[in-house]
Amino acid sequence: MSGAQAKQEPSPRAHELVNSLNSTFGQMVSVTVLRPNRIRVQTDRANLRALATFARDMLHFDHCTNVSGTDFPKDKQIQIDYHLGSIDGEDLRSVILGLTCRVPSDDAKLPSLIEIFPSVDLHERETYEMLGVTFEGHPELARLLLPEDWSDIPPMLKAYRLPGRLEGE
Amino acid sequence: MVAQELEEAPKKPGPGSKSDGPGLNILVGKARQVIQEAIVDPVTYLANWGRLYSLWPVHLETACCSIEWGAVSGPRFDAERYGILEAFGSLRQCDLIVVHGTVTRKMAPRLRWIYDQMPEPKWVIAMGACSITGGVYFDSYNVLPGVDQLVPVDVYVPGCPPRPEELIDAFVLLQDKIRKSNIR
Repeated sequence: MSGAQAKQEPSPRAHELVNSLNSTFGQMVSVTVLRPNRIRVQTDRANLRALATFARDMLHFDHCTNVSGTDFPKDKQIQIDYHLGSIDGEDLRSVILGLTCRVPSDDAKLPSLIEIFPSVDLHERETYEMLGVTFEGHPELARLLLPEDWSDIPPMLKAYRLPGRLEGE
Repeated sequence: MVAQELEEAPKKPGPGSKSDGPGLNILVGKARQVIQEAIVDPVTYLANWGRLYSLWPVHLETACCSIEWGAVSGPRFDAERYGILEAFGSLRQCDLIVVHGTVTRKMAPRLRWIYDQMPEPKWVIAMGACSITGGVYFDSYNVLPGVDQLVPVDVYVPGCPPRPEELIDAFVLLQDKIRKSNIR
């Protein structure tokens, strides 16, 4: 998948990050530079925590701005994205580091990153109820935005159909 | 005595049913109408007169139409001239809900809950496209396609958002409705 993206030349600081990631993790990650200051690191769920810890301690990405997900029904996979940013590292403020992880739809589980980045708390809860991905280790994985009486499948899955007017389509 | 008159009230011709003849001076016509209503059914007239100019809307803001509602309450449009004063106290003293825009599935039980807590008589104004049909969120998984399946709506105010003048017009319409209604 990373080969299909139009690659761009990274900025000098991003180039250092790419080299650092590649030399540390090697074959376990695939690093793509989407824009000069936007790096995507694709990994599997076994290495996600190690990668996040490395990004926080060694690369100085000190907070997670966003957790989101996408459903890929043809691949029977759900892709979870963590967007990391930095406040302390002055030359890192314009850089976004995206951690990407794909999990199979029938076994949608991920280790929670809440011990590494406390700010993922609400984002992981939202992803949990909107896509049905379970984050193992999250202390309070409860319903956040949906109504309390929600009994359908998670609404952001492609298999979800609106009850009523569009039901037959 | 009062209870007797209350029972008799629906049989009598409703106030405001008499139309003024053409060519009459408006002031004279209005005075005649008021005197007629006051003599024919004084209890209904007095109760309606009391309700007309003390409509207190609930301070319940669900979406962006409440910005326009803020303008209506503000000094430029000043709905208080018409007897509409936003109550910041208890909703148990209110008698009007203006549903400001989108009502989500999660908000719907709360809206009904608030409506049930208000004392009779009470009226509902659906403000904006979202509260009438769901608006741009019509096919969404969590937005109600119109609040009229949830609470009985008296006046619909279309627009996205409606201008403050339209909302004031809705208040005047609602007052007209109250003026012509029988007391329960």
